[in-house]
Amino acid sequence: MKAWLKFSPKMVNQAVITDLIKNYDVSFNILRADINPKGGKMLIEISGSEAEKGIEYIEKAGIDLSPVNRVVKKDTDLCIDCGACVSLCPVKAISVEKDWTVDVNDKECVGCKLCTYSCPTKAIKVVE
Amino acid sequence: MKTIEEINQRIKDGDAVVVTAAEMTQIVKENGADKAAEDIDVVTTGTFGAMCSSGAFLNFGHTDPPIKMTKTYLNGVEAYSGLAAVDTYIGATQPSRIPEIGIDYGGAHVIEDLIRGKDIELVASSYGTDCYPLTDLKTHVNIDNLNEAIMLNPRNCYQNYAAAINTTDETIYTYMGTLLPNMGNVSFSSAGGLSPLLNDPYFQTIGMGTKIFLCGAEGYVIGEGTQHNTEVQRKNGVPVNGAGTLMLKGDMKQMDPDYVRGATMPKYGSTLYVGLGIPIPVLNSDIAQRTAISDEDIVCQIMDYGTPKRSKPIVMESNYKQLRSGSVEINGVEIETSPLSSYKKALEIALELKSWINNGDFLLSNPVKLLKSEGSSPRPLEIRRQTVLVNEIKSKPLITTSPNDDIGDVAKRMVLNSINHLPVVDADQKLLGIVTSWDIANAVAKGKTLLKDVMTKRVVIAREDEPVDVIARRIDKHEISGLPIISKNNRVMGMITAEDISRLMCARNLKDGV
Repeated sequence: MKAWLKFSPKMVNQAVITDLIKNYDVSFNILRADINPKGGKMLIEISGSEAEKGIEYIEKAGIDLSPVNRVVKKDTDLCIDCGACVSLCPVKAISVEKDWTVDVNDKECVGCKLCTYSCPTKAIKVVE
Repeated sequence: MKTIEEINQRIKDGDAVVVTAAEMTQIVKENGADKAAEDIDVVTTGTFGAMCSSGAFLNFGHTDPPIKMTKTYLNGVEAYSGLAAVDTYIGATQPSRIPEIGIDYGGAHVIEDLIRGKDIELVASSYGTDCYPLTDLKTHVNIDNLNEAIMLNPRNCYQNYAAAINTTDETIYTYMGTLLPNMGNVSFSSAGGLSPLLNDPYFQTIGMGTKIFLCGAEGYVIGEGTQHNTEVQRKNGVPVNGAGTLMLKGDMKQMDPDYVRGATMPKYGSTLYVGLGIPIPVLNSDIAQRTAISDEDIVCQIMDYGTPKRSKPIVMESNYKQLRSGSVEINGVEIETSPLSSYKKALEIALELKSWINNGDFLLSNPVKLLKSEGSSPRPLEIRRQTVLVNEIKSKPLITTSPNDDIGDVAKRMVLNSINHLPVVDADQKLLGIVTSWDIANAVAKGKTLLKDVMTKRVVIAREDEPVDVIARRIDKHEISGLPIISKNNRVMGMITAEDISRLMCARNLKDGV
């Protein structure tokens, strides 16, 4: 699952994530992070056999976790299948199909919105 | 050898053999050009790309009392009205006059909305004459109540075009789309092997009067487009960069919104996606061979759009097979590619035109004059007022500071020399950072004592040989007021500030009598 972790200022100095990885069988990927001494947030993707236990641990440790229910959507009426967005996507969530249709993969998307901003026909929308 | 009349007879008889340019590549590969010239009558091409040099003539009809429109706005986008009383030309790249909308809705969007049959607000004004007394009007128009709505595009359908890359360390926004820093991506525009003018590279069949598919309707080539260039280097018989162009005309009342689209390149401007297909009569084996050109055989130069100059450095030569594969390799690094034109739509157009011809709905026309195939190359515009370079501007003598200097001393030096910016350098005069009077105030407020704790380390710089106009744009873009001038061997040579540029402009205006 993908989730935003919110760190309060007092949490910043604690090695919660290190402990999580040491103690649970999880694979953990940081997609975006913006943390400074005043706190901050981090977008993560967590999977593995003990992912659920791991999430419980993070929440117990005092980090506010909110799962991402984001949907990236291509408006097929507006999209002209040019592909201007394809090379801008940092996680290769946009691809060109065999019939040259541009396909946006919701699962891979990290919500950076570079495609939304750069689309000539404003055909891609990210809704959180 | 065949004639267009013979091909038209076969179209009428339902016997013509029509293939797309993509299919033709395979046919010639398998059977050879001679056999293909015998078997195939027409090759259809297609492209669906952003073509900024597009627009439309509209005639509104006369009001009662009549008005001689001198300023005309369609949904807030200005159209040119210096044409009699009720004629106007709306250009694709004209932005909305409403600042909050700007390039998000431009002439191209007005053209699309007209073709979609939407009502468009018309606001016009005039100075009033004895025969045209009305001075203002506000009403609505649509495609049905306009007398004429004629798309007339001065420069469309470039025969090949460069791909774009950005070698600078910041994202830039261009007519070639968003270009990521440090060669983060490549964008390209041509439909390659499907593109009309790459299938008739010496203009053996296309000219004034060639009937074409234009935005879902029948249209015509009315001559060479502006900047038509016949002198570009060729490889495999086709130009390696932007070369020939077309001027096109079509009736918007017949057009299909599926094949035309108003769009906006972010931070650049509005543009019109034009759907265009040209049928190429296979009159002989030479033409057959030309229409067999493949994506792989068409060279495309990848150019550095990070250089805001007319001639951009070539980073690499590629081809459309490579570009369309999704990535190219430059200096051992895989770089992702983006097409700006829709290959899917281009194919759709080539197939649609093919079916029109197969159904007998579309006959080929004999052009009255073929496009120029030699002796045409656009000249650049020379600016009479010489461009001033950074090292030619008079600026204050250079004063620098070191990272371990005391804030108080730095403040004194700034006051003494009445300057607001100080470059921070090392012992070799190499730039480490910059400090402004605001940084000093900030340091005092926070009780910092050393310069290195408050200086800005990521500095926007100016090179000695850059035009001052480029620096003015940079100052505006980064919302700063001064930049250190850096020499070729990376030494700090001075500072250029917004005030220096204002002073230069004042001097220019005085000289020009403005």
